[in-house]
Amino acid sequence: MKKNRLLDLFTNNRFYKSIFRHGYPDDDIKRSEVVTGNLLLHIQPVKVHKNTIRAGYTLGLGLIAFYLFIILTATGILLMFYYIPSIERAYNDMKDLEFAVSFGIILRNLHRWGAHGMVAFVFLHMCRVFFTGGYKPPREFNWGIGVVLLIITLFLSLTGYLLPWDQLAFWAITIVANLIGTSPPESIMGANLRQLVLGGTIVGQNALIRFYVMHVVVLPLVAAALIGVHFWRIRKDGGISRPAEE
Amino acid sequence: MDKKEEPAIFPKNPNKTYGLMELTKTKSFQIEKGPDNTVTSWPHLFFRELILFMGVFIALMTISLLFNAPLEQEANPSNTPNPAKAPWYFLGLQEMLSWAHPFWGGIFAPTVVVIILMLTPYFDRSQKGVGVWFAPERKIANLLFTIFLVLAVGLIVVGEFFRGPNWQIFWPWNMPSPH
Repeated sequence: MKKNRLLDLFTNNRFYKSIFRHGYPDDDIKRSEVVTGNLLLHIQPVKVHKNTIRAGYTLGLGLIAFYLFIILTATGILLMFYYIPSIERAYNDMKDLEFAVSFGIILRNLHRWGAHGMVAFVFLHMCRVFFTGGYKPPREFNWGIGVVLLIITLFLSLTGYLLPWDQLAFWAITIVANLIGTSPPESIMGANLRQLVLGGTIVGQNALIRFYVMHVVVLPLVAAALIGVHFWRIRKDGGISRPAEE
Repeated sequence: MDKKEEPAIFPKNPNKTYGLMELTKTKSFQIEKGPDNTVTSWPHLFFRELILFMGVFIALMTISLLFNAPLEQEANPSNTPNPAKAPWYFLGLQEMLSWAHPFWGGIFAPTVVVIILMLTPYFDRSQKGVGVWFAPERKIANLLFTIFLVLAVGLIVVGEFFRGPNWQIFWPWNMPSPH
């Protein structure tokens, strides 16, 4: 095979090989090693069925949802540098992001629209799996994890909704808190659940810090762990669903 | 081997540099297996995944450059907007709240939906139609899910675009200001 000398310069050296444990993947053995020689082995197989890469089958919906999760994590970390979860400061920090921080408004837009997108694409992904019968055995448990991931996505989005501390945020969370308060029996279950979620009787500082901690620590960790299990189970259940072969 | 006694099933082709040497009675690797319809993940899968990521990022960046995220007045507990609305993905629930005791629409209905969704694969176990969009063998399942979809999306649309002050029905183009 004709060698690409520039490629060879970058890939056929100790430094590259110390990282990737194989040369540039230009034959089938090295192509296998890309997967078996890396952490990636636990996520993706050496070979995939042709149906897996057929765009018209999956429409890439699950992967788009995952990519949005990655972008949301990255932009979320950057936003944490500028945002203080205090009812005195939160709203001013939003204004600063818009007018004082370089590209702050873009950062916030990416996070906001990405969050809406993630809710939508997780839901669309669920529709795809249903309409292709992908939830059937042996994938029934992974479907269940997917439903839990949808719920976590909704809660991630909801907890983030309060953080700008504007009228939209305050009253939307008030509605949801009142909704939680109707869990029967209301005087015991509902009232206490509402108290637990808000850390008080109204949406105030306690609610803001609770939503913030859930939004930036607890829910992302749970989501990341379940996404790991979700991907791993795809492999263990024999890859993405496909028609039975003749 | 004497050429004259060779059976004529596999006549020697002078244009080919190779020929059938021998037939043995063993199983080949392909017996009782489907065709090997696989490709290596590198590069076929990984490049597609990379391109999709770039597409997602470019699309999201374009939207973020064109449209600013909403930011209303600072939160004010003494100024209730009419109507106050939940985030769009919970508007279906909020819509149902207005029909009966809030428990039924807000807690009971979503709980039942989640339980049914999680249990579906334990009851619908037939392997017919797996891997095919809208398989004809799955008409009933697809119909039921489509009804669920239409209801879920329909309620969100009503809550988002058709509900105005005091949670009254308005046409979207006649919607009074929420303050």
